[in-house]
Formats: sequence, structure tokens, C-alpha cells
Amino acid sequence: MTAVYDIRDLTIDLYTRSAAVRVVDGVSLSVAAGECLAIVGESGSGKTVMSFAPIGLMPEGVSVGLTGGVQLAGADLIAGGEATLSRLRGREVAVIFQDPMTALNPARSIGSQIAEVCTLHLGLRGAAAEARALELMRLVGISDPEARMRQYPHELSGGLCQRVVIAMAIAAEPKLLIADEPTTALDVTVQAQILDLLRDLRVRMGMAMILITHDIGVVSNAADRVAVMYAGRLAELGPVDQVLMAPTHPYTRALIDAIPRPEDPVGSPFRGLPGMPPQLAGPIRGCAFAPRCPQATSGCATLRPPMRGIAGSVGWQAACHHLTLAVLPKGAAA
Amino acid sequence: MTNPVLEVRNLVTHFRSVERGKTIKAVDGVSLHLNAGEIVGLIGESGCGKSTLSRSIVGLAKPNSGQIILDSTDLSTLKGGTLRKARSAIQYVFQDPYSSLNNRQTIGEALEEALLVAGLPAARRSARIAELLDHVGLPATIAPRYGRELSGGQRQRVAIARALAMNPRVLIADEPVSALDLSVRAQVMNLFFDLSRNLGVACLLVAHDLALVRQAASRNYVMYLGKIVEEGASVQLYGDPRHPYSRALLASAPNPDPMAERARPRVPLTGEIPSPTNPPSGCRFRTRCPVVQEVCAASLPPTVEVAPGHRASCFLVSAE
Repeated sequence: MTAVYDIRDLTIDLYTRSAAVRVVDGVSLSVAAGECLAIVGESGSGKTVMSFAPIGLMPEGVSVGLTGGVQLAGADLIAGGEATLSRLRGREVAVIFQDPMTALNPARSIGSQIAEVCTLHLGLRGAAAEARALELMRLVGISDPEARMRQYPHELSGGLCQRVVIAMAIAAEPKLLIADEPTTALDVTVQAQILDLLRDLRVRMGMAMILITHDIGVVSNAADRVAVMYAGRLAELGPVDQVLMAPTHPYTRALIDAIPRPEDPVGSPFRGLPGMPPQLAGPIRGCAFAPRCPQATSGCATLRPPMRGIAGSVGWQAACHHLTLAVLPKGAAA
Repeated sequence: MTNPVLEVRNLVTHFRSVERGKTIKAVDGVSLHLNAGEIVGLIGESGCGKSTLSRSIVGLAKPNSGQIILDSTDLSTLKGGTLRKARSAIQYVFQDPYSSLNNRQTIGEALEEALLVAGLPAARRSARIAELLDHVGLPATIAPRYGRELSGGQRQRVAIARALAMNPRVLIADEPVSALDLSVRAQVMNLFFDLSRNLGVACLLVAHDLALVRQAASRNYVMYLGKIVEEGASVQLYGDPRHPYSRALLASAPNPDPMAERARPRVPLTGEIPSPTNPPSGCRFRTRCPVVQEVCAASLPPTVEVAPGHRASCFLVSAE
């Protein structure tokens, strides 16, 4: 499989008036066509900035410094500058945001909003744009699209609005879809429908997908591979089965261990992580997880662990000085 | 058996819709009770009325009818200052600790304000502030700091400490950890265990994370479109859900274990929760129910006790 999107040694600094903060620190990963890569991490882990800064989607007034290489469908996003980005955004890479209610314009009908995307990216006008909008609405499973077209976002439920946002995102059949917490604002029953829809579209259109989430259940349901981020760095990267069922990095282990399980007795205390998530104020020497890590030794605080491949597995890596290999349960895809 | 601390009987809260002449039936005849020292879960999809129910209990929304009985006193018979004083025993913890604390107040000031309302003499306030912070596992040295200097988990603890300032008998927590990261959720959830066990506070835990509620709550209510459709102990409800809605809801949460996730039986629940302005006749779940029958449209399903303390409102359950 060839990589549609490829990040090499990406470092992102955010400059504020008084300080520079390194939010992403030396991350390398790639996504192949038709594949779903989940990026998990807690707030402040850099997962959102890492996904949006390379395509130029940062809040206004924030200056960003990127170093490293980011390739999308053969184009270099860092060297290319804004001209390349505006040519690619919407056509080759599209985005689904967390809250569908705020992603849509409340004052315009959903039909006109979808048609506008078709005009912008496909050069369709008038009736042709409208016809494509109808087709897209059917594709994302909106029933009775002719009537729905005339409706406004406030008349639709959250799940339907998210389908509209997805329709807009896939209008130009992008090669890469970045979904930022696409089901967090939705109920579990609707979440299942949206995840099924995204999987169906990805397979049918051969799209690569980056799924940003903090919900391990969503990762397990929807992703092929998963990247675990901590303090702007990759902690672990690999196939979902391996990483979720036999995590090697102490942070991944703690994160998965913290999920309440059906076999936990009712009323038993919740498991968490000691300490607090890191503050990205100063540069971190050594391993970022060391202050909270049960296995940390003196070397962890001074020497940063590189990403290392895990023996016997392809594409499974972790950054830890004390990698311990758990045994995969039978039946897990190797 | 002792009397429950809080009992809600047949509570109805309706709102006037923006559409003229229409009514939103957010809470439509709900009864529940909380015993001292007990954590009770309230689960359901957004729009089912669980937040309106919680807000009606603390008085943030005005119920149309029904009774809220606190320590054997019907709150609807009270007025003015007496009502305010009685109701201070029910406290609310909001979802978002970033918007529920004033950024321009120090933690100490926020807590002192609550103690002022509680009528504690000034001389005793600082000792009580230290005690409250200790209850929620924060050092007293945090008092002069501002809310904005604290992390989300710490802020939520301050919000809980502020609720405790009134010596509540009942704590209503509306999604108390959904704004927090997984690694700090445990600390706040374990705090609720401490409060219920050590201080005897009854907690109503409103949340959508079913695995979390299962572990935290001893009993649960499942709500759908303004009504309770099933109630039972966590072991009963999560082990053997009886109402088709509870079954579908519990089956739709993805499993973090990829092998279990692939093996998870799919109970497809089509569509979304109907509008509470015009709820379906008979059983409100019938429009999405996978096992709907003709009788479901005709009349309200009876509530059947399938095991001690485990009740479900469904024709199929009653036929079994």
C-alpha cells in the first residue's frame, strides 16, 4: 500500500506574544489509501494541532512554525505554502469537525451549503450543483433529500447535521479525510450509525482517514492502526489489535487500564493515572511520561527514548526505554 | 426500611415550544427516589429529558405538577425563604468546570461566597474552607489561587467542594466527568464514592458513559422521551436489560477490546429520538423499537417488576 499522507519528523511550535511552545515534537507517521489511522491522546497531547497545522487550519493570530516533511498525494505541504494548501484543501484533503451544529451556517439551507462546496471544488453551477448535492445526501444516508435540502441546520438533529457535514467533506472525493472527534457530540446510538457510514464511505471511495478521538471504544470499532500521543510526541504506533490488546508503552497501558470494564465489580474504585497531564511550558528532557510512569528509572528523566520497532511485528513501534512485550491473546490479527 | 432522602413523584415539566400552541413534554410523569449514601445513575440519550429532570429537582426549571419530597417534606408546599433553605440541601454539580467557576475569583473566594449564603459566621469560614478542600482531596494552600490556574480535574473538585459547602443531603451531578480526560476522571469519580460513603450524601449521577455509570451507581434509571422505561440495580440492569430500549442503548457502546468489539452483536437502532413536542402514542419507544407490536401504539405499556427492584415498562416484558 502506498502512503497517501506522510509525515516525517514533524515538529510544530506555536508562538505566542510571550513564549514559544513546542506542541508537536518529532512525529513520523503515514496513512495509506483506504486505511483508517486513529490518533488518541488527552487534551494537550498535540493530536489536533498535528492534524490541522500542516493543512493551514489554525486559529487566526496564532503563528506556527513547522519543520519536517509533510507529503499529501505527492505534494509537499510545508514547502508549498498557502497556494498549494488552498489548491488541496477540500479537494484532496477534507475535514469533519467535532460539533456539526457549529460547523454549518445556521442562516442557510443545507442544500445550498452542500451545493456551494460542489461549485467551489467541482466547478458545478446551478442545477448541476444541486443535483450533485442531492446525490451526496443520498450517499450519506439522508432520507427524503429533496425535502431536507430546503431545511436549515436548526431543524435537523445532531446526527443528521453530521451527515450533512460528511456530505460536504466528501463532495470532491478527497484522498484524505481528517475527522476530529466526529461522534463526541452525538449519542451512542447515533455514534454507531455515523461510524458505520464513515467506514462504508472510506472503503467505497478508497479514502485514507485520520480519526482524532479520545475514546478507545471508537478506536477499536473504526480504526486499522492507532497512534498514541503524549505531550506532543508519539508514545506508541501500531495495528489496533496489537496496541489495544497488548500495549507495550506504560502510558498506553495506563490509558487502557483506566477504562471501566464490564468485569469490574459495581462500586469498585476507578483506576486512573497518578499525577497530572504535562504542561507544555518548557522543553521536556527525557521521556515526557517519566514523572507519572511506574517503571521510570533515573535515565528516563534525562534521555528521550526513540521510537523503536517491536520485535516480530511489522509497523508496531513504541518510545520507551523499558519496553516489555505482552503476549497477544489468541485470535488477534497479527 | 428507612425513608429515602429524596423522592420524586410523578413529576411533569413541560415547556412552551417556539411553535405557537405547542408544548415540549420534557419530563412527563417521572418517579424516582434516592437513599442516603447511594449513587444512582440516570442514563438516556440527549433529548430524553434527563437534564430537565435534574434541573427540576434543584429548582432551576419549574415543574408543572408532581412532588419533590426531601426528608419527608414536600417542597411544593414551601415558599420563599423556607423553600430556599430547604432546597439548599440539594446541590448541583455542572458538567463543565471551565464555565461553572468564576475566573476572577480565587478558590477561597468562591467557597467563601457559598459559606456566606449558608450563613456561616465569618470567623469560622477559613477553617471550613480548609475542611471542604480536604474533603475533595485538594491542599488548603490552593485557596488563594485563581480558577484559571487549575486543571480541569482540580476545577471540578472545587465545584464539588462548593456544592458541599451547603452540607447537602443530595448531590445532582450532570455529566461531572465528561469534560475531563480519561486519566483524571478516575480521581473525580472516586471522590463521589468517598462523599457518598463517608458523608452519606445521595448522588444522582447523570451521564451518557454507560460503563462509567455501571461501575459507579448501585441503582439506575433509564429514561426515554420524558419517561423512565426501566430501573434496576446495576447488576440487574447491565447484566440483563429487559426493555428493548435499554438493550439497544447498552449494545450500541463500542467495546475498547478489538476482539470483543468484532464479536459484539449489533442491535441496530434506526433513526433518532422523536421530538418531545409530539411524542408517539402508547409506548414512546415504538417508532424505533425492533420488536414493536400493534398493541404498543394503543396504550401506555404497564410497568412490570421482573425481579425485586428491577422494573421495566414494556408490553413484551409483561407478557413473559
